[in-house]
Amino acid sequence: MSPVAENYLGITGYLVFWFLFAIALGLFIQRVSLLIRLLKLGRPENRFDRLAYRFINMLALAFTQWRNLKAATLKDPSPIGHAFMFWGLGLFFIAYLVFIGFGSGFGLFTVLSGSAFEIVFFSILDIAAILVIIAMLWVIIKRYVIRPERLKREETTEEKITQAALIAVIIVLMLLHYGMEGFGYAAYGIPGSWPPLGTALADTLVNAGISRDSLVAVYKSLWWFNYILLLGAVIYAPRSKHLHPLFSFSNMAFKNLNPGGALKTIDIQKKEEWGVSRIQDFSWKQLLDGYACTWCGRCHTVCPAQLSGKSLSPRELILGMKEHLLKVGPDLLKAKAAVAAVPVATDEAGAAGSEPAVAPPESPEKAFIGDVISEDAIWACTTCLACQEVCPVNNEQMHNIIDLRRYLQMAAVTETARDTMKNLRVRGNPWRGTMYARTDWAEGLDIKIIGEDSHVDVLYWVGCTEALEDRSLKVAQAVARLMKQAGVNFGILGEEEMCCGDPARRLGAEHLFQMLAMNNIQLFSSYNIKKIVTACPHCFNTLKNEYPRLGGQFEVIHHSQFIADLIRRNLLKINQLEEAVVTYQDPCYLGRYNGIYQPPRQILKSIPGVTLVEMEPNRKDGFCCGGGGGRMWLEEDTGQRISEMRLSQAMDTRVQVMATACPFCLQMFEDAARVKEVDESLKIRDIAELVAEALETPADAGDKA
Amino acid sequence: MKNIIVCMKQVLDPEIPLSLFHIDTEARLAIPPKATPPVLSPFDENALEAALKIKDARESNVTVISLGKKLNRVVVSSALAAGADHLVLLQDEAFGDFNTYLTAGALAAAIKKLGEYDLILCGLQAADTNTGQVGTGIASMLGIPCITEASKVELDDNKVRVEKASADGSEVIEAPAPAVVTTNYEVGVLREPGVEAFMSAAKKPITTWDARELGIETADTDCFSLVRMYEPTQEGKCEILEGAGPEEKAEKLVNRLVEVKVI
Repeated sequence: MSPVAENYLGITGYLVFWFLFAIALGLFIQRVSLLIRLLKLGRPENRFDRLAYRFINMLALAFTQWRNLKAATLKDPSPIGHAFMFWGLGLFFIAYLVFIGFGSGFGLFTVLSGSAFEIVFFSILDIAAILVIIAMLWVIIKRYVIRPERLKREETTEEKITQAALIAVIIVLMLLHYGMEGFGYAAYGIPGSWPPLGTALADTLVNAGISRDSLVAVYKSLWWFNYILLLGAVIYAPRSKHLHPLFSFSNMAFKNLNPGGALKTIDIQKKEEWGVSRIQDFSWKQLLDGYACTWCGRCHTVCPAQLSGKSLSPRELILGMKEHLLKVGPDLLKAKAAVAAVPVATDEAGAAGSEPAVAPPESPEKAFIGDVISEDAIWACTTCLACQEVCPVNNEQMHNIIDLRRYLQMAAVTETARDTMKNLRVRGNPWRGTMYARTDWAEGLDIKIIGEDSHVDVLYWVGCTEALEDRSLKVAQAVARLMKQAGVNFGILGEEEMCCGDPARRLGAEHLFQMLAMNNIQLFSSYNIKKIVTACPHCFNTLKNEYPRLGGQFEVIHHSQFIADLIRRNLLKINQLEEAVVTYQDPCYLGRYNGIYQPPRQILKSIPGVTLVEMEPNRKDGFCCGGGGGRMWLEEDTGQRISEMRLSQAMDTRVQVMATACPFCLQMFEDAARVKEVDESLKIRDIAELVAEALETPADAGDKA
Repeated sequence: MKNIIVCMKQVLDPEIPLSLFHIDTEARLAIPPKATPPVLSPFDENALEAALKIKDARESNVTVISLGKKLNRVVVSSALAAGADHLVLLQDEAFGDFNTYLTAGALAAAIKKLGEYDLILCGLQAADTNTGQVGTGIASMLGIPCITEASKVELDDNKVRVEKASADGSEVIEAPAPAVVTTNYEVGVLREPGVEAFMSAAKKPITTWDARELGIETADTDCFSLVRMYEPTQEGKCEILEGAGPEEKAEKLVNRLVEVKVI
């Protein structure tokens, strides 16, 4: 029996049912269509390729809860709670659709009532509801009692209301499930002992001697209350501050399918692509990130800039984008409509007259840069990608920051980065004032220069830092020694090599990046280069993941992969190294950017005498050295130094050597070790240096003979 | 609208590493290293910045003139990206042998040919030859005032106002426009163009004149000339003094320093 099948004040329940439904649906569509029109204020971005893959991927990510569950730890088991809530509410969603939608709405309850299907489904819901209630109780404890760092933020009243309302509605819906089961079964007949909780409650009610009329009346009231609450939730959800349940699916479907750290290539001929300073300058996908955000705060608590006391919070950027869009978006839509309404001017007077309407409307209350995010925060990002790694909904915080930087560099390069940029433009390297020529490190090593002899199998791309910065020259020498011993036929570009463009690009100077990149790509093509090895993860990422967009397709290998392979093929004769306990720093651009975690560890483990001790955090959770994103060339004058924080984590492992595979890490940690006065006891080395140190020299070979 | 002319020289990059710097003593020339492009003289970049600061404050037209035997288009047109409006290139085989006097003459001829000017800015000196003669040379050839080593330059309706540091403070000097002003680094480091300025530079006009177009038929390159150009040799010698204790070491060190007349 369904309450819709009855008349209320002479009106059939079906009419009431569909009338209420139509109102709710109308209000839902009205709001969601506004939210979508707001997204369309953003710039176009093509995320419609490989649609089938995107769809399947979305389903897989959502239903396995993978991105959420991988964050679960003993200390923070919230992801498990979220997964149960998601699965549980998913089942309820199906139940509402089947039993309320089809069952009551279309009168199928006559078939469904008392069916085996209903009994099985309700039994499952009995268990699911408990799990959801437990999960919600955990949410309450977590959000209101424990309040861990990631959830601490100054919430607005509206946000507080949303949060409380969502928790309350979910719990009440779960309780209503039991209530309706109990009173329904008690009134219309108990099917047996399944579903367990529903029938137990029904038994209790019957035993309590409540009259059937009362049972029916309560059941009907509960049913309508449940229905109205559901419709209320449908109306409220898109108007609330928590749009995550509605938009996280689409955000996963439209996620970036390119390597996560490869920046968007902009057409520098097109003014409208130069940078982002207003909310409508972001792409629709970037705006969608804001809707999908669930305020979990994970990005906030892994961000090295945030942790070291800078003003950047990736969480606040994303939430700020959403708030700003919701606030100024409707006015922008009106302005857009006004522009569209202006008839195409046919004469000069008309053109002049239409100008005020065409002018881009400025935000009425707040500017984006300055109010939503400060310039300091924009420059604080080290592009380490930790935020994107932990984001459960595939948001792309780092890319938004780079787009903002692009705007800040649009008219003129900012003063702090000026020397570096000028040096890049004029001399093709970011190391102003270097005393070295690009081939100085190779003196006496008998290394081919490709301009003189291009018959090589491998180009060793040295990179500016390893060619021009004092400490890093030794890494280049070590790499060359290893390749020589392994009999690799390689060459270098010498003076013809220019910066790969990474610093320019990460600091927002896209034109400089493209200039440098095009120059290098042409050079590779002219020498018919097919295979490139580099010891710099930043060059590696740029050459491998970003040059293809500019037409440069080459096989690019990081020296950690290359050396690991040489060792595997027994091409390097490695001796015992003096006993050393070593820890390994995952460079962001090697690990998170390119998923290379194993080869450097294999190398270290293959050196006899070396004991590898992991520091916390490591691999995907590894902590940045502070040198990425062009930060290598900017001052770090606020808060703690990121490099010193990471060095402390290395010191906690009590190792003698901190190994890394990136010239920026090397420099940052050497400086940090000097500041902390541990440079005697803790050596900072590139993995190539350690292998080269352990190489069998001709003298060793002689001893053995 | 004010017309400002900035004279900028393309020089061998003064920041190239030592191992790339070589001099051909026979030809009395620095040999430009392969794959290392020249730069605009940093002193002249200061002059351009001074011009752009004036342009920021009032409507002005900034013309950059560069003279040389062979000018690198990318290098000289970076002046346009930085904010200059017009580039005039004086390019001729003959300019290769030009000394400062002849260079000043050619630049003065170009300035006259341009016709309208309120202020001519030059760097304090060129970053390669460091003579500091061209700016004053232009002024004398045009018969207009010249103020050297300015740290701040302002252009009023009909006068040039300059601040310059002196031994015991700073001086403010005024001269009727047009005038030549040479600037030092204190006027500011040249702004670095962003993508906007960079892209707009491509649309700005570039004029090229050779010696004939400037009316320079013959040039007396022998009026004064470079006799010798060479890399100075520097020798470093390290001596280690032994001693039983710090006192003895210190005494030996003092004696030795007196011996070699350092103290």
